[in-house]
Amino acid sequence: MTSTSEGPRRRVLLGAVAALVAVVSIAALASAAEPPRTVIQRTIDEVLAVLRDKSRNQDQRRKDLEVIARDRFDFVTMSKLVMATNWKKLSPEQQTEFVEQFTRFLANDYGARIDRYHQEEVQITGEQPEARGDQTIKTKIVGGDNDGALVDYRLRQKDGNGNWLIIDVVVEGISLVANYRDQFREVANQGGPVIVIEKLKQKNANPSSPVPELEPPKKEAPKKS
Amino acid sequence: MARALVAALLLLLAATATAQESNGGGDVQGAASADSDPAGARSPWDPWERFNRKMFAFNEDVDHFVLEPVATGWDYVVPHRVETCISNFFENLMLPTRFANDLLQLKPWKAYETLWRAVINTTVGLGGFFDPASVWDVYKSDEDFGQTLGYWGTPAGPYLVLPLLGPSNPRDTAGLVVDSIPYLYIPPYTLIPIYASVPGTAVQVVNRRALALETIREERKAAFDWYAAVRSAWTQNRENRVHDQAAAPVKPGATPDEDLYDVDE
Repeated sequence: MTSTSEGPRRRVLLGAVAALVAVVSIAALASAAEPPRTVIQRTIDEVLAVLRDKSRNQDQRRKDLEVIARDRFDFVTMSKLVMATNWKKLSPEQQTEFVEQFTRFLANDYGARIDRYHQEEVQITGEQPEARGDQTIKTKIVGGDNDGALVDYRLRQKDGNGNWLIIDVVVEGISLVANYRDQFREVANQGGPVIVIEKLKQKNANPSSPVPELEPPKKEAPKKS
Repeated sequence: MARALVAALLLLLAATATAQESNGGGDVQGAASADSDPAGARSPWDPWERFNRKMFAFNEDVDHFVLEPVATGWDYVVPHRVETCISNFFENLMLPTRFANDLLQLKPWKAYETLWRAVINTTVGLGGFFDPASVWDVYKSDEDFGQTLGYWGTPAGPYLVLPLLGPSNPRDTAGLVVDSIPYLYIPPYTLIPIYASVPGTAVQVVNRRALALETIREERKAAFDWYAAVRSAWTQNRENRVHDQAAAPVKPGATPDEDLYDVDE
């Protein structure tokens, strides 16, 4: 390569190329997947915003949380992981049904739990690469009853250059995927993997914490006369 | 009575130590405990499941008919802040356990912070009822002798549900006994008369249960097999604490069932 002594034409050309490179790389940045840390930060911000929005009632907030969860979690991968060797014993229709029921279950459960926690902040404390190209984002809860609790999110990139989605939540060292996997293994050992789907349906028909409208109806004020 | 119990459990400790040697436990230092668990660190090893499930059911009955109702009453009467203070007080009493185990795990800096924390909380924290050390970010040790054994490579052994005490394993059962020694033999703890220590322990147990009322209720409802849920959660949390929050490394060549994050396709 020659040095930069070929006059103004070359300089103009260089300038044009530089501008082009800048434009292209900005475009590439915009289209490239958000890095895992940003995904988690955005999720935390959105969840906390929902929880703090007192203008919406509990039921609406829970629906908002479910929308966020469905967007950030890879429920298909999570279903495969929790069912482990039992996954292949399900027919494709059963697999679809499992994903649907498990997603509903987690969304209900997650919504019910998280709705109690609002006076807390969440800090991202670090990140760590994992096997299979996964990435763990470590967070810590600050304030409230769970002050200091450690919550790790494990993310996996969807097919090559796709979005980073959450595939596991590890609270104080306890992996959600591992926990449900052990339970589902026990259930499947007793009556086959299909029973797991049945049990999920039962739970979903009777959510662990019903939305306000479903709470035991208040006794109507005794009618006059 | 207490002496006999200690002797019996030291015997158990010796038994686990022997088991470790027959396991080829020559390698000292942290990483060893992954080898102890044939099904992988995140899949609890439970050959005594039949016995454990019975013991678990017994403990659940005790909780259902005695502890939970008492704790519910306690929670109704005692304000939440006071419960937290009581919990702080008992944690502060754990100083000898935490300090000794920090040292036994060759963590002198943590031992120093543990000591410093106890000094702060006993003085500024008015006898340990308040926890200013946490506000000042002084390290909070949770070390116990079960973790110390794990640190030096003692395998955990199979999952074991103890009567009343709940989830454990042979290693941590031994640890529990060793940790109680200072409280039986070292002043000022020995100066506490039995008529004070028994109700004291009762308060500690009820108060701890009261703080967990909502969590346990939620977890029970969310469980498909409550026994398996507790076993998995306890085992994972325990392993994690032995390794001080660093996840146990994935073993090379793990089969899909062993490796948690492998989608078997």
